[in-house]
Amino acid sequence: MAKNLSGDLQVASANRLVDGMVVWLDEAGQWTDRLEHAAVARDKRGAEFLLERARVEAFSVVDPFLVAVAEDEDGTIEPLSLREKIRASGLTFDAIAADAVRYA
Amino acid sequence: MPDTHFYRYDGYDRTLVSERVDQFRDQVRRRLAGELTEEQFKPLRLHNGLYLQLHAYMLRIAIPYGTLSSRQLRKLADISRKYDRGYGHFTTRQNLQLNWIKLEDAPDALAALAEVDMHAMQTSGNCIRNVTADHYAGAAIDEIEDPRIWAEIVRQWSTLHPEFTFLPRKFKIAITGSPNDRVAVRVHDIGLRLWRNGQGEVGFEVIVGGGLGRTPMIGKTLREFLPKDELLAYLEATLRVYNRYGRRDNLYKARIKILVHEVGVEKMREEVEAEYAATRDGALKLPAATIEAIARQFAPPVLSPRPAVSGRVVAQRLDDPDFALWLKSNVAPHRVPGYAIVTASLKPAGAPPGDASAAQMDGVADIAEAYSQAELRVSHEQNLIFPHVAVEDLPQVYRSLAALGFAEANVGKITDIIACPGLDYCALANARSIPVAQRISNHFASIARQHDIGDLKIKISGCINACGHHHVGHIGILGVDKNGVELYQISLGGDVDFGRTAIGSILGPAVTADKVVEAVDAIVTTYLDARRDGERFVDTYRRIGAQPFKERVYAAV
Ligand code: HEM
Ligand code: SF4
Repeated sequence: MAKNLSGDLQVASANRLVDGMVVWLDEAGQWTDRLEHAAVARDKRGAEFLLERARVEAFSVVDPFLVAVAEDEDGTIEPLSLREKIRASGLTFDAIAADAVRYA
Repeated sequence: MPDTHFYRYDGYDRTLVSERVDQFRDQVRRRLAGELTEEQFKPLRLHNGLYLQLHAYMLRIAIPYGTLSSRQLRKLADISRKYDRGYGHFTTRQNLQLNWIKLEDAPDALAALAEVDMHAMQTSGNCIRNVTADHYAGAAIDEIEDPRIWAEIVRQWSTLHPEFTFLPRKFKIAITGSPNDRVAVRVHDIGLRLWRNGQGEVGFEVIVGGGLGRTPMIGKTLREFLPKDELLAYLEATLRVYNRYGRRDNLYKARIKILVHEVGVEKMREEVEAEYAATRDGALKLPAATIEAIARQFAPPVLSPRPAVSGRVVAQRLDDPDFALWLKSNVAPHRVPGYAIVTASLKPAGAPPGDASAAQMDGVADIAEAYSQAELRVSHEQNLIFPHVAVEDLPQVYRSLAALGFAEANVGKITDIIACPGLDYCALANARSIPVAQRISNHFASIARQHDIGDLKIKISGCINACGHHHVGHIGILGVDKNGVELYQISLGGDVDFGRTAIGSILGPAVTADKVVEAVDAIVTTYLDARRDGERFVDTYRRIGAQPFKERVYAAV
């Protein structure tokens, strides 16, 4: 069960400048492509601080922003909005493969 | 390999494009080095067709007039393999989108495009945008003149014209060279339809003020018949009137559709005709030699005489019902006897509409070289077209397309769905489009059933920007977001066919994602129960109204 649905928990996200990939800010102030490594802000002040830090570290990314997440008992975090879920886990269907010749 | 029969870059265009690539390479370098901020860089990358979407950069490549050579298509396949994930998405705007381009690779991808005279430059800002033309251009049996000639003439004229580089808003023109509209002339800022009047003269019907998006409008006829050589002077007068209202009063600082709606088409016509009478002689004219040179660029290929009836085709039609259905829905008559226009369906059952892998693009290029003068067209219905196929080659083309998965006999049918990228890719989306299209497509996969249902166009957009043209779908589906839940608003009765263009009406409350298929099924069943002989879905809808559909849908969901 998600503990927090109101959106008090936040992570900072952005797209990586060099290739546009989705990244999150970790505790060490590095951008990571693994959501499970993201630093989680647990209150409003923490969130402000996190966003501030993301902006300071923004030279390698585009337009950092905060994402509301939920955390379950074993500490797994998941974004609340569908948009951010899709940013975190990719397309919700199978994209066609480069060598695909359908049905063949 | 035969050379292509359409507009070729001249030295000027080529230099411009290659200079832009070099410029962009330098801009990317400076951005990566931190010398440019995102704020400074964003307009530069957008001018080069590079967008930042949800999880990657996307490169939007222009396919002018929807015309493509096999060589260009091979290059697109190559670029998608080298710099992307090996597939591309053909859009409703006659573009190809690559969804996973890295910023650091974008200049190389653009340089590769320039090798085949292509680019991703967006003619950005409030100017006259790329002119779109019929995807059967140069081949259609009902074609009076190749619309691409006029599209290119308008492009050159508007580029030369300083007065029209600062319009109140962006401006889109569509041209069809056939009386049967295949470019949706009534939902463009200006739509031009070539036809022949009672005296045998050829001219344009000039339609103004259509558009989709937030405020959908059907264009109105400004001039029933305009002799074709008066086109530029008349367009000039129209744009000048638009420009004047747009400048004088803030209220009209908007698309021309709002202006036409506010003042009414009669007033608009009065103003345009007055302006035209006063200025027609002084209007900018392209020299006749320029026009002739443009027409030569689009000269039709020389098609050697081929038999109009083929024993092989007749025989295969008799013992292969799938082939027979394919002939019915995916093959159209050509203006040269013995030839046909073939549509490759990029909508196999359950696939993301309009996507093609690199291998499939190469395969299509092979077929075009073997059987269609190395020429292709891209339709706004997100399919690929072989414009010049000999009738006796149809069985081979069918077989080759089947091997690629592009021989689905569903053109114009319920699974020939138009869908925008939606929330899986697009940063502006409210809801997903592609998975909804896939579910509908799987549900109605039976080709025989699709042919029984007949012509039925489903169009899906993931937000009100209407890139999936949902307003003009026979069944339109619009994704909305309600407190974080995807809901889908269904509308019925939209149409882009000539003489019947209509904006669909919303059926009732939006339905959840898992109910969309049931809703569509209920709509189809209502139609099948009520239809009379030969009646298309929209005809039945017009006759019986929304109520029976409404009852069935909301009982089902
Ligand atoms: C995924 C990235 C895309 C973004 C961010 C995007 C954004 C937009 C926006 C903001 C508008 C409204 C523009 C205005 O009226 O000023 C628009 C309009 C439009 N888009 Fe897209 N779009 C995208 C993809 C597409 C695709 C893939 C297609 C074709 C399949 C498309 C076709 C259109 C069309 C036809 C319109 C014009 C509707 C009208 O007549 O007003 N777009 N788009
Ligand atoms: S209609 Fe909306 S969701 Fe779909 S591509 Fe256009 S902007 Fe994106």
